[in-house]
Amino acid sequence: MLLENDAFLTELTKLFLKGKTTGSVTMTMKRYDGRLKPKPRSGNLPEPNEYKCLVRASLGTKKLTTVINHKDVTKFQMAYGNLLKANMDGLKKKDKKAARGRKKAKATQ
Amino acid sequence: MTYFTSWEEFAKAAERLYLADSLKCRFVTKYRHCDGKLSVKVTDDKVCLQYRTEHAQDVKKLEKLTGHLMRHMASKEK
Repeated sequence: MLLENDAFLTELTKLFLKGKTTGSVTMTMKRYDGRLKPKPRSGNLPEPNEYKCLVRASLGTKKLTTVINHKDVTKFQMAYGNLLKANMDGLKKKDKKAARGRKKAKATQ
Repeated sequence: MTYFTSWEEFAKAAERLYLADSLKCRFVTKYRHCDGKLSVKVTDDKVCLQYRTEHAQDVKKLEKLTGHLMRHMASKEK
């Protein structure tokens, strides 16, 4: 499903929530030259003057896609980064006690 | 290809691979909340670089690399 940048982010948040119980959320990012037709067999296409970024996300059979234009990249990149940080919260937190113990051990060595 | 053990090395190699042929390279992030695992893969279908982690402190580094590459992907540079 091809979405606008903002809609993609909202749907991705939903995807993350759905993936809390089971399954993997996969995100793929790729450079995209903006072509909508296959590459011609002969002759080269002129170089695009601006590249885009294609972002895909999936959970099970649900798939999301969006294309980011150069002018929107700063905004999207920040929102996307925050979204990742907010939603990837199931990982192990740094064990402060262990870190302190290690430091102490180093100091006494 | 085996997993990288250090994020720094992985990030450096990933960037190099991407810059070698930016249109062929894809960047895949997989997150499993139920197992608390995160894996990142960068490949051009010839070379494949992977990194996996269970630690929350790697998310910040991932965000930085993702943002960096995303900015380059949607730019005018070659």
